[in-house]
Amino acid sequence: MLTLLTLLSHHTVHAQNKIPDTKITVDVNGIALTQLLDIIQKKSGVSFSYNPNKISSDQKINYKAINKTLTAILNDMADQFALKYMLVENQIILKPEKKPEKKQTQNITFSGNIKDKKSGEALIGATLIVKELQTGSVTNAFGYFSLTIPKGMYSVTCSFIGYKPYTTTVDLSYPIKENILLEEEPPLLQEIVVVGELHDVVKEIQSSITNMRPKLVEERPALLGEMDVVKSLESVPGIKLHSDGSTFYYVRGGNRDQNLLLLDDAPIYNPSHMLGVFSTIIPDAVNDVNLYKGNMPASLGGRLSSVLEVRTKKGNDQHFQFWGSTGLISTKAGVEGPIKKNSSSFLVSARASNVGWLFKQADKNIKQFNFFDLTGKVNFKFNANNQVFFSSYTGSDNYMNNTNGLAWSNTAGTLRWNHLFTDKLFLNTTLAAGNYDYSLYTDVATNTKWSSHIGNINLKSDFSYFIKPENELTFGWSINGYNFNPGNLKSDVPLPNVPTLSVRNSVEFVLYGNHEVKLGKHLGANYGIRLSSWKNTGESFEFVFDENRNPIDTLYYKKGQSYSRFIRAEPRVTLNYLLGDQSSIKASYARNVQNVHLISNSVSPFTSLEVWLPSSINIKPQIANQFTLGYYRSLPIKGTSFSAETYYKKMYNQIDYNAHAETLLNPLLERELRFGTATAYGLELMAKKDEGRVHGWLGYTYSRAKRKFADINNGATYNAFYDRPHQINLMVAYDVNARWNLGMNWNYSTGAPYSAPISFYKYNGEEVPIYGQKNNARLPDYHRMDLSATFKLNKNPEKRFKHSISFSIFNIYGRKNALFINYNKTEQSDGSFKVPTNLLESDRKASQFYLFRFTPSFSYNFKFL
Amino acid sequence: MKKMRTIIIFFVCMLCVACEESANIHLSTEETNLIVVEGIVTSENTNHLIKLSHTYQNINGIAEPVSGASIEITEGLNNYPLIESPAGSGEYYTPIMRAVTGKTYTITIQYQSKTYTAQDSPLPVEPLPTIQYYKTNNQYSLSLSNYGQDANFINHSISWKNTPACTSGICESKVVYYDLKTIDVNEIFKPKKEDLLFPVNSTIIRTKYSVSDAYKSYLRSMLSETEWHGGIFDVQRANVSTNLSEGAVGFFAVSTIVSDTTMVLE
Repeated sequence: MLTLLTLLSHHTVHAQNKIPDTKITVDVNGIALTQLLDIIQKKSGVSFSYNPNKISSDQKINYKAINKTLTAILNDMADQFALKYMLVENQIILKPEKKPEKKQTQNITFSGNIKDKKSGEALIGATLIVKELQTGSVTNAFGYFSLTIPKGMYSVTCSFIGYKPYTTTVDLSYPIKENILLEEEPPLLQEIVVVGELHDVVKEIQSSITNMRPKLVEERPALLGEMDVVKSLESVPGIKLHSDGSTFYYVRGGNRDQNLLLLDDAPIYNPSHMLGVFSTIIPDAVNDVNLYKGNMPASLGGRLSSVLEVRTKKGNDQHFQFWGSTGLISTKAGVEGPIKKNSSSFLVSARASNVGWLFKQADKNIKQFNFFDLTGKVNFKFNANNQVFFSSYTGSDNYMNNTNGLAWSNTAGTLRWNHLFTDKLFLNTTLAAGNYDYSLYTDVATNTKWSSHIGNINLKSDFSYFIKPENELTFGWSINGYNFNPGNLKSDVPLPNVPTLSVRNSVEFVLYGNHEVKLGKHLGANYGIRLSSWKNTGESFEFVFDENRNPIDTLYYKKGQSYSRFIRAEPRVTLNYLLGDQSSIKASYARNVQNVHLISNSVSPFTSLEVWLPSSINIKPQIANQFTLGYYRSLPIKGTSFSAETYYKKMYNQIDYNAHAETLLNPLLERELRFGTATAYGLELMAKKDEGRVHGWLGYTYSRAKRKFADINNGATYNAFYDRPHQINLMVAYDVNARWNLGMNWNYSTGAPYSAPISFYKYNGEEVPIYGQKNNARLPDYHRMDLSATFKLNKNPEKRFKHSISFSIFNIYGRKNALFINYNKTEQSDGSFKVPTNLLESDRKASQFYLFRFTPSFSYNFKFL
Repeated sequence: MKKMRTIIIFFVCMLCVACEESANIHLSTEETNLIVVEGIVTSENTNHLIKLSHTYQNINGIAEPVSGASIEITEGLNNYPLIESPAGSGEYYTPIMRAVTGKTYTITIQYQSKTYTAQDSPLPVEPLPTIQYYKTNNQYSLSLSNYGQDANFINHSISWKNTPACTSGICESKVVYYDLKTIDVNEIFKPKKEDLLFPVNSTIIRTKYSVSDAYKSYLRSMLSETEWHGGIFDVQRANVSTNLSEGAVGFFAVSTIVSDTTMVLE
């Protein structure tokens, strides 16, 4: 009897007879416990005996058991419904079990993934709110959430922009792991005034982050119909694109190499096609894009100014679909579908340029003029706790004429394993690699080319521990290996007197921890630290220079020999204080360190020769300290918000160049570098409407970016090229009806600074300019309006085959936005501008160079779902 | 077919809608009034010209000569005083002399209580390549390309004064071809130069100059701001280097030269 009592206290009772080994499957939702018992009774053949007054029949429950033994099911039920059971005379007797008080207030974890209902794609950043507790969670980069709250019955609402909110009742009597599927909102929405809803921008602790959903990119008018994630950044306050025809962007007064672009955690060093007219990142294969403007979570780093984190789609795990489009510039196609429904899928997306033949027809000297992208992804879900993804990207550009040419390529690959240790502890382990190669062909016939390279491989583990609602700890480590070739000459023929530049190798270890927590009703904090240890390893050689930059020694490092170690700590903290339900203020501090440096004194908007070097004997790590203070408010109309964010950023060990620095094939390259500081500050205002038939935003930025170098501009502070104080961005999308969508984009910014001559002199017939203060003049102000219209050709929106045509006009009022001002050319009889050949007589004029006035385009798009 | 080509060119133009046009840009110029030194002492045994002028403020401006300066070139114990001729021209000539490879020549200029100095050493020069020109529209144009191993430049003085084609205006031109043996992306993709045509029976005098390392550095930075400037891969603008002291600009060069003369024949 004593034994029996002991056993009862553990719920598991092996009484007088043996419980049958019958295996059954039960999957019920929202029924009474008594109904569940009836079902089990029917399926297993055993009968239950209990006092109906003591077993609740009011409480609605969910229960799922797949092919489980009756004993296992009884144990489950005993745990979940506070019962004890015993087998007596082939009857199972059930009695309520009185549990200690502690058990009644026990915390239970509700976890799972939030996905798109049709495609199964993870919805990154979707919110989950528990109505009764007014608390919630946000899905991580893999669509996973975990919420640990007291046992009970809750009403949970899941929402994501562009999707119908979904509310369900969850009985948290036991841990639940569930996938929540959200359905896309129909394109036409009624304007709804909602008061009292707390908007994400207000509530989320993280500041200085911009989310660019692929749909948003697609709605934006695009140059020549090429929808482009990187170009879309020009509409974000605080981001400045170099100019028309460029994918270079500058974030909060930082240089262009201070932006990291991660495609599924693999770096893309040069995301441009056609010299920068288009970027490599098209929305077709993209699931989510986040831009961190310097205030990155501790898990991200390696650049001073921003991280653009692009997550590709994993592929539809419900059904096959393919899509495509063709326009003036390129043809795109993609296919995705399940390998095994609900558990594995694939995606392949490709783009190839159409313009090569056009250029070849116009100029017989052109031999190659093309680019392509290829993106692929597969994923396998082995069980509820393990999922593996593999994604790859390759893209290449080739522009060759008879004598010379340019070519570059990016390749990236990521192998990722997501593992759930428990409902509260999530692990993402990633092996990622990225390579970038650039070649300048100086003689195509002999295959003589200057080639540079940067590549890296990264292994990392990111842990997320969901302690409680709004209390999440992330921590992890990573190891990065880098390889740099700063540019060497190769040829099929022997080349005399060609200098050799040392290849460099570096290793970086990173440890980080980040804690995001709500401290009471109003205050939230996100703080963390990133520790990095950087070292270079041989085989390589380095030059030592004296104070006059004369080389005085050459240091040789054997293969595997370590040198130049830099250990840096990067603390980061953001505080969010809620001012009631509708507004908040946030303050942040972030320190960032950068150990890879782009060496280029080009001012061209186009991809020119790219040389990357590591921190080393002659180049110290770049460091930035950024402070921000912001005010965020949600407005009465659903999905509308206003934000005002100020920042101040001080950057150290910044790189600039000796006058007319020789950056190619120069073994003493480092003596061409100059080091100094940079300061940036600004105010970014943004009014945004995310939902409704009319949506978009209006942004205004006041910003300054200044640099100070002892050896440049006589040591005086000067404006950086990207110092453009005033910037206005207006982006509007209008869903006219079920078939017509219109888009409009208007950008304005102060003209970019440049150095204008203050006088001239003659030398051997050439007119040589003399400059005063660096960047003493500005190009004319930049502004441009683009329009687009998309017409869905299907009358029936339910058809599986959907197709549409898009018209767009870039720069509708034909503004001549100058890229360069030149003073060294003469006007020819045909109106063109050329450099004079006869130096005895010339009539030089100031001229301006611009791109893309009134550029119309159309494209045809289709999808088969 | 012609129609098709027109359509293609239209599309290409639309894709490369780059355009350059006259800009009404006001330059905030300053009266820098710096001394400009332009002169090359060569291996030719002759009177060598050193020009002194002032900087000027506007494009296509006239450089005011610097007159009354005292100039001397020295090499070891040899002194070569220069004489301004004609007076007020800012053009100063050495006595008959020739530069010798391996020796260092120093120029000293005294003007308005300031002393400017510079020095350079000539390197040997490689032979001239065979001249190449081609006929186009009943006229001729030079075909220029890199040649040899060493940095150099070639001055082409082209004259058709004594041909029937010279009916009016200046019937001569000067074309300089620089071959610095550097790899610069702004040079490779430099802007187009205007076409230069000359008639049959024109005379072309070519002079090839050797270039010292310092002169090469000067020419590279000078070209970055002139002939190579305005292409699609421009570099940061900056003042051109110099070998002159005290803030003077320009370059005092010493070169070994080789020259030839060609009559353009049909």
